[in-house]
Amino acid sequence: MRAGAIDAPRVDGVSGRPVATIESNGLAAVVSELAERRLRVRRRDLLGHLRVLESVFDDTTIVPCAFGMVLPSREAVASDFLAARRNELLGLLERLDGRAQLNVTASYDEEEILREIVATDPRVARGRQQTRVLGRAGHFASIQLGELVAGALAERREADGGRLLGRLAAESDDVVAEATDELTVLKASFLVEGPDRFDAVLEQVAKDEAPRIRFEAIGPLPPTAFAELRAGG
Amino acid sequence: MAIATRGTSSNYLQRAPSPSGLAEVLDVILDKGLVIDAFVRISVIGIELVTIDARIVIASVDTYLRFAEAVNRLDLAETGGADITDLRSGGSDGKTRGVLEGAKEALTGDDQKEKQRSR
Repeated sequence: MRAGAIDAPRVDGVSGRPVATIESNGLAAVVSELAERRLRVRRRDLLGHLRVLESVFDDTTIVPCAFGMVLPSREAVASDFLAARRNELLGLLERLDGRAQLNVTASYDEEEILREIVATDPRVARGRQQTRVLGRAGHFASIQLGELVAGALAERREADGGRLLGRLAAESDDVVAEATDELTVLKASFLVEGPDRFDAVLEQVAKDEAPRIRFEAIGPLPPTAFAELRAGG
Repeated sequence: MAIATRGTSSNYLQRAPSPSGLAEVLDVILDKGLVIDAFVRISVIGIELVTIDARIVIASVDTYLRFAEAVNRLDLAETGGADITDLRSGGSDGKTRGVLEGAKEALTGDDQKEKQRSR
């Protein structure tokens, strides 16, 4: 973050250690000391890292670092990180200024989508009849039916996921999307300048897609998915 | 930037200001964020990695059987034909979750319970 933007964050960081800032030439790093050389990572360590990011993000622009970056000394933080990478860090701060991240997941309603698949694919409907008659004796038929359904789901994921991504990406500065499987249609992080405007569009998209697809949105979050250095690290 | 709380959730859109549960937290900070290779990184070992495995796509016989089960559980109006005897046991109408969603939760574990235990 930029030096002087805030006082030291009020929350504890990894390993429950207090958090401090180290400054160099207008930039500041938010750090905590590592007590042992080897850290057995626990849930609270990950949460501590996240809470510090959120606390700083609440007040100023932050370039979130990946969990677990360790430098040998406070001096090294100032010289090998803040000074050595100053231009890149300034560039990132500028890019992330006023931005927030929203993590959006869209999933099919299981019953709706399966009904749709049965209704539109006669092979699935036939396979379903067959397995219902055979019951436990129809193990192989069940596998075939399941494979048909898996294929139908995959086709729909590709089409629907592409459409949803397009509609939402148009409202954001940047997007990182992950591969999805089974009932998940979209799993992506959006970098947005105005969370309210994005949220309004998301609300509309969700309404349009209901009840077949349901949405979850987490954020505004510190932009962890977008804190990448352009030139190699 | 202030973190504002947004509007209420509905059944087509659920909003949360912050991740809850280990899987959602990992989504935000695991393999995300600035990385400078030259700096030693603590590798994330020693926590429940089953949650991370949930991100791996698995196509297998088990998956297909679950899909078949889910399709068979649909309550559709049967057109014509003889009575269909359901030979499978334990089909309960009381379940509120689908078979696919139930299986996914089994894979990621009960994060809320673990969260309270570890405090």
